[in-house]
Amino acid sequence: MASTAATVSLKQKPENEEGEAQGQWSVVARRFRRHRMAMISLVVLMIILLMSFLAPYITPYARDTIDVTAPVRPAPPGVVTDAGRHLLGIDHLGRDLFTRLLYAGRISLTIAIFVVAISETLGVMIGAAAGYFGGFTDAAVSRVIEFMLAIPLLPILLIVSAILLKGDDILRPPEFLNRIIGAVLLTPARETRQVVVMIMILVVFSWLGAARLMRGMALSLRSREFVEALRAQGASEGRIIFRHIIPNGIAPILVNASLALGGIIILESALSFLGVGIQDPTPTWGNMLAQSRSYMFTNPWLPLVPGIPLVIVSLCFNFIGDGLRDALDPRLKR
Amino acid sequence: MTGYLIRRVIQMVFVVLAVAVATYFLFSIAPGGPLTGLRQSQQRLKDTDVARIRAQYELDLYWPVRFSRWLAGFPSGPIVIAGNTYFAEVPVGCYLPDAETGGCKDYVYLEEMPKLHPPIKSSQGVLRGDFGLSSVVSIGRPAMDLFRSRIGPTLELMVSALLLSLLIGIPIGIFSAVRQYSKFDYLATTISFIGSAMPTFFFGLIMILLFSIVPVLISEQAPWLIRLPPGLRTAIRPYEIASWLPTIQPKTPADRFLHILMPLFVLTFFNTAQWSRFVRSSMLEVLRQDYVRTARAKGLVERAVIVKHALRNALIPFVTILVLQIPSLFAGATITETVFAWPGIGSLYVDALNRSDWPVALAFIFITAVLTVFATLLGDILYTVVDPRIRYS
Repeated sequence: MASTAATVSLKQKPENEEGEAQGQWSVVARRFRRHRMAMISLVVLMIILLMSFLAPYITPYARDTIDVTAPVRPAPPGVVTDAGRHLLGIDHLGRDLFTRLLYAGRISLTIAIFVVAISETLGVMIGAAAGYFGGFTDAAVSRVIEFMLAIPLLPILLIVSAILLKGDDILRPPEFLNRIIGAVLLTPARETRQVVVMIMILVVFSWLGAARLMRGMALSLRSREFVEALRAQGASEGRIIFRHIIPNGIAPILVNASLALGGIIILESALSFLGVGIQDPTPTWGNMLAQSRSYMFTNPWLPLVPGIPLVIVSLCFNFIGDGLRDALDPRLKR
Repeated sequence: MTGYLIRRVIQMVFVVLAVAVATYFLFSIAPGGPLTGLRQSQQRLKDTDVARIRAQYELDLYWPVRFSRWLAGFPSGPIVIAGNTYFAEVPVGCYLPDAETGGCKDYVYLEEMPKLHPPIKSSQGVLRGDFGLSSVVSIGRPAMDLFRSRIGPTLELMVSALLLSLLIGIPIGIFSAVRQYSKFDYLATTISFIGSAMPTFFFGLIMILLFSIVPVLISEQAPWLIRLPPGLRTAIRPYEIASWLPTIQPKTPADRFLHILMPLFVLTFFNTAQWSRFVRSSMLEVLRQDYVRTARAKGLVERAVIVKHALRNALIPFVTILVLQIPSLFAGATITETVFAWPGIGSLYVDALNRSDWPVALAFIFITAVLTVFATLLGDILYTVVDPRIRYS
């Protein structure tokens, strides 16, 4: 919408483009705010995100410190030992569960955010290029997507992460990625490598959705009049794609991304739960759940500690996706 | 259509081959395997001893050679044509690697292969139905044999879950589409929304918590509560499930039923959520069509409109999606089977991965990949059968 207006009124008021764009997005924001569950989810997510990123300031314990003074392990929520009070209890080794939960959230959320950011960007660029250029590019991209969709995803994901995460020197991720993610997670190099490899594996398998969506959008957009007009004006192809095709086709991608965030969180915990993902002592909600299995018969509260936040976060992302879908759909008049 | 089929079959072969090569390559660089910890446990082992053990597992061969032997049972020695041997001097592996330089002290040549790797001990190749021997989970047992022993439980669980979820999911989907925005529709979509956001493994743990653990913990206060077995397929010893019910004997139908109850419920819940959502959206799509309006306009009873005109068309895409379930009937539900320790193929796969039993894991991937591409093709072909508007060229 914005670009159609921009091409028509380019001479008169350059700031018109800004005004129009803000107008469109403020409509979307207003509609989104009216979706009650989505707004609640957004707030809840913000709180969880904030808590996990402020983990060192919230909890007095270090992530892997074993409370040697605890007489029984695991111990239920609220237990008081000589070392202090444990809000959510301690695990089978005597580590504070609340602390581990926060750090696990930090890791699970970071993985999800990085994976979705990278894979959606990749998918959008690949899809836009395939749809806009057509011909050989499109054929090649479509074949690759077809190929990726034809393989059984979960089994492949399991074997790939089982192999790549176990060995220390099979896959060496680029150093800058290690640095960035290590700084975000406050993890030692060895643990960071696992997280980065996990991100890389998940990215490889999750750009397909965005690419397919964007390809479809680009295919329909490229024959529209405003793109014709842009071409007639002599706009470069890069400019057409990045300034006009992608912004106009971004709406379904946003919905897709927010649903994908929930999906990736669950997928990553499933891998960790099955023992092929990120390994203890690096906590993730998935491997905390897996550890709780051996002790849940005497401590039935144990699986609930990592499980409930996991479900809440996944539900939140789904609600937000739902809200975004409603807000971005111009056919819905509310 | 013939041209399309040929293209698709070629594509299928390519997909399966690519998956096989990729996973085999990964497996060849994977840590773990039969030699892990050998040095630590047997300190007196010399390099030559390790080399001998390595050769027993064919790990001395280069991975493409190993792959080709795994896939087709070839090469098993130098090629003999009309009495002349060819390629006898080609190195196919490294018997004794040089740890210091990274080079090789003693190569394996093709002519040595029949002696070092006799065909009796190695696999005949996947193409001849031989997936090699399990190296950790059940040492020395053919992978195929392991699958055969596990397919029964998997089929039992998956087929009953599929049928049950279809039986429940389709009517729910139809009903919520016909009564769109009704209370029922709202409830059904909410439940299936939660079903899509809830991770299977946590749901499974909650079930175990509610029906096996909590009843046992409070059995003093409430002995009448039913306690379900938390895992496995049958019990070993007779057990009681509630004070007012007789003791259950192992391996009786009652015992089997109690064991399958929870995994079946979990799988059915998730499948039902998926099916009902699918049927609902498909029905809504169809109900907007002109021919449905025509059917109503000519005075048909609503029931006939729904069943004869709408439902039949709404279920067209259903056929293909149903066919896509075929691979999962073999592969099982990896996560659910693991949570409930169900002795099926899915849990075997997870077990094989966690204990680095690569032959079993590879066999699983290969079979699943083949089934998946076949199911996709079958689905596409069926689509043209049930919907004559669709033509492939």
